[in-house]
Amino acid sequence: MTASATLASEPSVAAQAVRDVIRNSFEQAAPLRISGGSNWLDAGRPVTAENNLSLAEHSGVIDYVPGDLTITVSAGATLREIERLTAEHGQWFPLDPHGSEDGTIGATIASGSFGPLAHSFGRARDLVLGVEFVTGDGKVVRGGGRVVKNVAGFDLVRLVTGSWGTIGAITEVTLRLYSRPPLPVSLALTVPDGQPALAHRIKSLLSLPSSPLAVELVDTEVAGLTGLPCNKTLLVALGGNRAAVAAQMDSIAALGGMTEIFPEVWRRLRVVDDIPAGSHPYDHPTPNIVLRVSALPARISDLWTTLEKAIEQIPGARMHATPGLGIARCILPPSAGFEGAHAVTEACLNTTIVCERMPRELWPLISPTVVGDKVSQRIKRAFDPRNILNPGILGR
Amino acid sequence: MSDTALAEKLVEIVGARFVLERESDLLVYNSDGLPGYRRKPRLAVFPGSREETVAVVRALAASGTSFVPRGAGTGLSGGALADDVVLLGLHRLKRVLSIDHENLRAVVEPGVVNLSLNRTVAPLGLLYAPDPSSEAACTIGGNIAENAGGPHCLKYGVTLNHVIAITAILPDGEIVVLGNPEGEIDGYDLRGAFVGSEGCFGVALDVTVRLTRKPAALRTMLADFVSVDDAARVTSAIIASGIVPAALEFMDSPTIKVVESSVYAAGYPADAAAVLLIEVDGTEAGVNADRDAIREICISGGARTVKVAQNDAERTRLWQGRKKAFGAMGRMAPHLVVQDAVIPRTKLAEVLARISRIAAEHRVTVCNVFHAGDGNLHPNIPYNADDPDEAARVHLSMGEIMRACVDAGGSITGEHGVGLDKIGYIELIFSPESLNAMCKLREVFDPDHRSNPGKVVPIHSCQEWRATPAGRSSEEHGELAGAAST
Repeated sequence: MTASATLASEPSVAAQAVRDVIRNSFEQAAPLRISGGSNWLDAGRPVTAENNLSLAEHSGVIDYVPGDLTITVSAGATLREIERLTAEHGQWFPLDPHGSEDGTIGATIASGSFGPLAHSFGRARDLVLGVEFVTGDGKVVRGGGRVVKNVAGFDLVRLVTGSWGTIGAITEVTLRLYSRPPLPVSLALTVPDGQPALAHRIKSLLSLPSSPLAVELVDTEVAGLTGLPCNKTLLVALGGNRAAVAAQMDSIAALGGMTEIFPEVWRRLRVVDDIPAGSHPYDHPTPNIVLRVSALPARISDLWTTLEKAIEQIPGARMHATPGLGIARCILPPSAGFEGAHAVTEACLNTTIVCERMPRELWPLISPTVVGDKVSQRIKRAFDPRNILNPGILGR
Repeated sequence: MSDTALAEKLVEIVGARFVLERESDLLVYNSDGLPGYRRKPRLAVFPGSREETVAVVRALAASGTSFVPRGAGTGLSGGALADDVVLLGLHRLKRVLSIDHENLRAVVEPGVVNLSLNRTVAPLGLLYAPDPSSEAACTIGGNIAENAGGPHCLKYGVTLNHVIAITAILPDGEIVVLGNPEGEIDGYDLRGAFVGSEGCFGVALDVTVRLTRKPAALRTMLADFVSVDDAARVTSAIIASGIVPAALEFMDSPTIKVVESSVYAAGYPADAAAVLLIEVDGTEAGVNADRDAIREICISGGARTVKVAQNDAERTRLWQGRKKAFGAMGRMAPHLVVQDAVIPRTKLAEVLARISRIAAEHRVTVCNVFHAGDGNLHPNIPYNADDPDEAARVHLSMGEIMRACVDAGGSITGEHGVGLDKIGYIELIFSPESLNAMCKLREVFDPDHRSNPGKVVPIHSCQEWRATPAGRSSEEHGELAGAAST
């Protein structure tokens, strides 16, 4: 597989097909629901659209030169497929968003999804090198490129990443890959009760001269669902050369309360939203309520303690956090309803709350819009003048 | 508004000392870090505070006046040149407003010098990772405009990855907060769009940057080669091995020779065809293992020697040669063209061979000094612009080198920006529709193109796109070669 001579070349096959659909919808001003694997259709604000535009069928690999540590794929490629292909060369795309691995890369980038590895590898915005997308008026646009460093032109990559399809339908992405760290090790650290002890524990761990791949705090419920003893636990993933891993393990062991755990825990953590305690994953009749609360990282133990209190009376409620990023993620059962979501938002004043999933009637009450500012409004008008791409998913 | 009336208005805001109108006073602002281009500003204004900056931008907005924001003017793309518009210098806004050790961030004004921020946070065991070679002079505001890189961006990422939030004043005078200083971004990543916008989207008033803990241990190595090809292949092999060095820099023989004959002599072997400067960091135990693995790759790939710096002084000396290489080239000729193309890392040997053929054919000297680990080339050509024959050969070579990099699947710029210098090349990598989309993004922030007009995207791309006859772009860019040879 070789790269095309220049990026100014013809639109991809996927883009040509998508362009035809979008131009047609543009002519008729008929809104489109853009989807990938249709795994997360309950995420984001409700969209009213006549037609569905699925990118799932456009799933090929366009270009993969392992020595360059980059891969270019069509938007419909699944995370599982990317994982399988890159693993053959001892590489990985270190973005581990919550949800099914059958999710597509297009949807992952469009939704700006991430998981515990964001602690060290950053989020989608830090890992996407290039995009091709089709705007709401049917223009095929490329931003970035296929090389790992690039400042040519204004940054359409960052613009479209996390824009939930409202600026354009992503048809192709180029991703930065990393070598899979040798000797992966997963550890669990006990967490004492009480906010000051939690704060001290997190601080001691994060200030060690080590560079863990992931550090995640899970509550008793999440610990149980991922196969660990039902205790509040700090999970740590390490990787690297033998000497580096041994030195890091020694320094973490010196904090006390460390055990080595089975790495499968990380995979289970990714689908922990969807396990309604005791039944089969994904078998959920109505969406769970998933809210991410974020603040300055040093506030994480305060935030955690506050949230614990806020959700302790809700059966089946669970949470986990990425302390290094200052993000706590609360998962509430559908039965929690408005009262449950409201309990979280009320408890966490002066924080940022990103709503991932909620029953449709809750959105106008909890988070009506995130694109109400002047600049966002102008962006939307410039790239989707007839408001046909996932209208309303980010609000009005 | 007449020049005099505008100057009077600006003097009211910043004081007479900080408005320059006379041609002799403005002379120094006719150039930036890239020799070869000259543009004369209409006048220059240097606000000394956030309030003055806001007032200046609003006064410019009220009179519909175009302007170019400028930091230290060290940029290498002609991006900070003001062509008969107002030059808005921001270097006086140089306060570090806060440092949050616990949350690893700092809030700084745009005129803070990169190295000065690093010196301020160093006693806390912290650093600001992006380290352009101009770090001793360049400003954080300029770094944001260009999405600046530097040697250590191989491991730590570029400016984009280290900016959390920006308070900016848009060209129409409105103040906006882009990004979220205290949590996640919900909605569009406007901060991401602003970083790297080359001064075309507005003016940063303050910036929240991410700080990084200093690594516990470092190992800095110099591997020398008798063959450029071997050095290029070893670079690809190190990257493919999975070790992510903190930095992996390449210098070829002409660069080594000029550095060694300058005051920045770093002890590079003068007879080497190429050297690689490699740094790894992490835990004490981990870096030794990485050092050994890299030494093995270098030796088996044909390195003559691999020297490891034994202390800070040796490390500083090895780095000084690299960081001052562009400056040292001033010894070779009065002018220098600087390229910044990026290629896939598996194509290094192939593209370097092609560059060497192009140089031989046009009888020019190419000095290669670059961020090999990222595939970010800097094939520089020292020359005398007053010799029209030589200037013509240099510009032919540069065009051919750029095309070779694009043909290899690369980009026209990795860290210096498009500015004025590469605007003629941008159509090699982006279609008219893509460039038109970039214009639309610009117009979201600056509908009238008043901030840094005429840079980054050719003006004809901003017209509503329609099919155009092939060849138009080359005619419109006739200016490039002329400007660069002045």
